[in-house]
Amino acid sequence: MTRSSIAFWAGAAVFLAAVFVMTQVVGNQYPFFAGYIILQFIALAVAWSILGGYAGYVNFGTSAFYGVGVYASVFLVKAFGAPLPLQILAGAAMGALMGLALGLLTLRMQGIFFSIATIALTIVIETAITNWRYVGGAAGIQIQRPEVTAPFDNYVQMLFFVQALLVVLAVAISRYIQNSWIGRGLQALRDDELAAECTGVPTLRLKLLACVISGALMCAVGAPAAMYLQYADPASAFNLNYSVSTLAMSLIGGTAHWSGPIIGAIVLATTQQLLTVTISSEVNVLVLGVMLVLFVVGAPDGIIGLIARLRGNRGKGEA
Amino acid sequence: MSKKVSSISRRSLLATAGAALAAAPLGANLLHAQQGPIRIGMSMPQTGGLAGGGKASLLGIEIWRDDVNAAGGLLGRKVELVVYDDKSSASETPAIYSKLIDVDKVDLLFAPYATVPTAPIMPMVKQRGLLLIGNFSFQVNSKVGHDMWFNNAPWGPADSWATSFLDIGQKAGGKSMALLAADQEFAQNLAKTAREVAAKRNLPVVFDQAYPPATVEFSSIIRALKASKPDIVYVASYPPDSAGILRAVNEIGIGDNVKVFGGGMVGLQFGAVMENMGSLLNGVVNYNTWLPEKSMYFDGTKEFFDKYTKRAVEAKIDPLGYYLAPFGYASGQLIEQAIKAVGSLDQKALAKYLRENTHKTIVGPIAFSPDGERKETAVLQAQFRGVVDKNMEQFRTSGKQVILFPDNLKSGELIAPFEAARK
Repeated sequence: MTRSSIAFWAGAAVFLAAVFVMTQVVGNQYPFFAGYIILQFIALAVAWSILGGYAGYVNFGTSAFYGVGVYASVFLVKAFGAPLPLQILAGAAMGALMGLALGLLTLRMQGIFFSIATIALTIVIETAITNWRYVGGAAGIQIQRPEVTAPFDNYVQMLFFVQALLVVLAVAISRYIQNSWIGRGLQALRDDELAAECTGVPTLRLKLLACVISGALMCAVGAPAAMYLQYADPASAFNLNYSVSTLAMSLIGGTAHWSGPIIGAIVLATTQQLLTVTISSEVNVLVLGVMLVLFVVGAPDGIIGLIARLRGNRGKGEA
Repeated sequence: MSKKVSSISRRSLLATAGAALAAAPLGANLLHAQQGPIRIGMSMPQTGGLAGGGKASLLGIEIWRDDVNAAGGLLGRKVELVVYDDKSSASETPAIYSKLIDVDKVDLLFAPYATVPTAPIMPMVKQRGLLLIGNFSFQVNSKVGHDMWFNNAPWGPADSWATSFLDIGQKAGGKSMALLAADQEFAQNLAKTAREVAAKRNLPVVFDQAYPPATVEFSSIIRALKASKPDIVYVASYPPDSAGILRAVNEIGIGDNVKVFGGGMVGLQFGAVMENMGSLLNGVVNYNTWLPEKSMYFDGTKEFFDKYTKRAVEAKIDPLGYYLAPFGYASGQLIEQAIKAVGSLDQKALAKYLRENTHKTIVGPIAFSPDGERKETAVLQAQFRGVVDKNMEQFRTSGKQVILFPDNLKSGELIAPFEAARK
């Protein structure tokens, strides 16, 4: 194990331990409700970045994957009363299949055409769910949470911890990909797909792999949301907001490094949560818009890029 | 040089973030002093699809707050509202209500406007044993079964909506029904009950179609509907499609055998939509919650609308405000009467009082059944008459929407068939 790996896994362990202690010590529920949303966006942004960042295939279909995750849970709970781990696994499996289908699309579509196809994917799936009465259809469906299992004494605290696990899983996968031949291959195909193919990079296999992993993670993240809300309706589950926010978080954080989407998601999701309970009006939409514009203009490579640039400058100054 | 700039900006960034984090709970704590105001917490859609209704509803509640504070408050304390924007989304409300309960520690809770944002908070308030005054959501408590839930909406029993409309249609000689509903939450709920009521009465449904929410062109659907020759046409639609459907009916016609047309068209309650549709509205029998007919004025109703009309102009919201605003005010009146009678803020006692008594409000007397919905429906079915184009003020006068149901509020008789009433 290299030094950075040790540091990473130690950091992950400390993070999970801190989250666990928090669920045992903090009595106030609000940090868990708000924290769950923030963790959810971190995991989504990291998952998105595997395809959108490393491979450069901009996916607007995050909400499609997220929504499928939600409805996979709804279906399993209604049909079999399935427990949470099974919901997440089933969600991931569905996401992997969807990712595979999306990956096959990239055979024929690139750039903006691929992005448009992913929006279409959202609309197609949302329409299908809207017409599926068994899972509530357009009217939505209320679901009851089962009893919480020890050592947690509250379901939301448990969901908070589960989501933290998913974050660690997503980040670990993303970090592995970046540092392995997969990441280098994806980077090559992002820069020039034809040149990469000519130099022996298995572009199709890599793209499929990126789509499957990214899709599986996004669906897995969506799965616990059904239990978080105890309600699902197509308009909320397939809300385009998930796609736009995830994309913005990755871009604000920077897609060049696995930590970029994490930073972006923390900054943006925390700001969103704070604005919801502070300014709380049309103004918060405006504030987010202004933030996006500022970052695009001031830090085109995201926060990661900005830090790298400042470090580079400092290095020069010191030398 | 560059080093200095970077360190300052980073530090100030951190400081700003820290200050923002610290400020949120701090502000709340400062406000929460002993024997301070009675604080009522809620989320309200102020952006997104439900914002138009949410803002009008909130204005109604604010007018109540100002009235009650002008009269000295409740239990000698002022009333204060803590309101957050839920962006019309179900995914925002659990965190917001947790903030209201756990951090802001508000004394009482109101629900946000509409079903979707309300649904996720029902299990939460039930689990914590908290009183919740509902705001125009539809049957959110039917599966949860919370005994401290009270909906301000006039819906009543789930099937009463379809029952009242079909009653009118069948009395006018209707023997078959056509059903046209948007593929959205509220419309599908209405369609479902309409099918059930029709089945119970052996009323054949000769046409039953759902259309996607983004539909703008309805001529083919209306042609198909017309070809099925129904006597009663029950439409459950949303504002943009309500307009599209009426335009298509105006162009193509609907056939002489149709006795009544309408029922559950959302949008025909809002000033801007009604002004826009003008004479196309004539003849339509549609649901409503409040109308300026003589039978609808109770203690304080007129005074409320005087205040609302003035403040709506400043707030740039629905100038008429019939649909939601008076019910927001009534929510306040419900809680006001309960607190005065109980003499404390004990939620269980307040819920018991609300469940067992009939309450006087500006939208008429309100009594609740065990599920927290109205004991009897007070949803109006009214027919548009003599409406002219491009005139908002006409809707403030009586006679433009004649109330056909319920009987105790009735202000006229149905004109049928629909084609005759359109002229």
